[in-house]
Amino acid sequence: MKTIDAKGQLCPIPLIMTKKALGELKENETLEVLMDNETSVKNVTRYLEEMGMKPSTGKKDSIYHVFVNKTSEVSENVNVEDFCTINNERLSDYIVSFQKNKLGEGSEELGTILAKAFINTLPEVEAKPKKLIFLNSGIYLVLKDSPVIDTLKKLEQMGIEILVCGTCLDYYKKKEELGVGIVSNMYVILESLSKTSKVIYL
Amino acid sequence: MKYFILIFESTHHSLKSEKLLTGLGIKFDIIPTPKEISSDCGMAIRINPALFDEQLVSSILNKNNITFHLHEKVYK
Repeated sequence: MKTIDAKGQLCPIPLIMTKKALGELKENETLEVLMDNETSVKNVTRYLEEMGMKPSTGKKDSIYHVFVNKTSEVSENVNVEDFCTINNERLSDYIVSFQKNKLGEGSEELGTILAKAFINTLPEVEAKPKKLIFLNSGIYLVLKDSPVIDTLKKLEQMGIEILVCGTCLDYYKKKEELGVGIVSNMYVILESLSKTSKVIYL
Repeated sequence: MKYFILIFESTHHSLKSEKLLTGLGIKFDIIPTPKEISSDCGMAIRINPALFDEQLVSSILNKNNITFHLHEKVYK
């Protein structure tokens, strides 16, 4: 039996570790995955079941032990990250799309502080968006010297995905200065927007 | 963690304070005034106590005729 320790790891790390370990095992060998939170256990279990395996879970001293026999080959084509986001119960099914670095029309200085205040409020609201998208001058909010960079990093750690328009970074010549999030393209952005139940445009 | 919250009498004062404090190189966050502090929908400034020099902040704001109220808020 092989044991991997995914304690303290956030999605998708436990899934990636599980997939890698399974790939290295021989048929019918047993894998044990150690985790310290229920969400990770659910994600890993769902992934294993989807792969046609039958995991079992035990809990001892607040540590979860998931056992699984490798009864089938693990498909390389499966994107483990797909087993993450849906089960992140703290996040709601909506996206906030920042079309510019200000909020609303009218006074620029007012719009600037409103945008900052909006972002600084997100860590405190219960229904957090699952993704934030930054387009056009909105990318100024995710640069290293952005006044809300610390808050955005905190949100990213909470599991909120931050997608930044790569074309826009390029246009404003700010690629090197990106401070948070993933550089993304129109395919990913459009797919995200079309799959979610609600989008808030700012 | 405990933070200091600076509340102002108008949005114009919030805006002006933001510029003044930024000019001094002070690190802070702009937040909506916490509901438990005031029911108006103004903008407030949140400062980490470790980075807060009350004398410096008071003197620059007073010099610009801005009055503020200092509150504390504990964040999880």
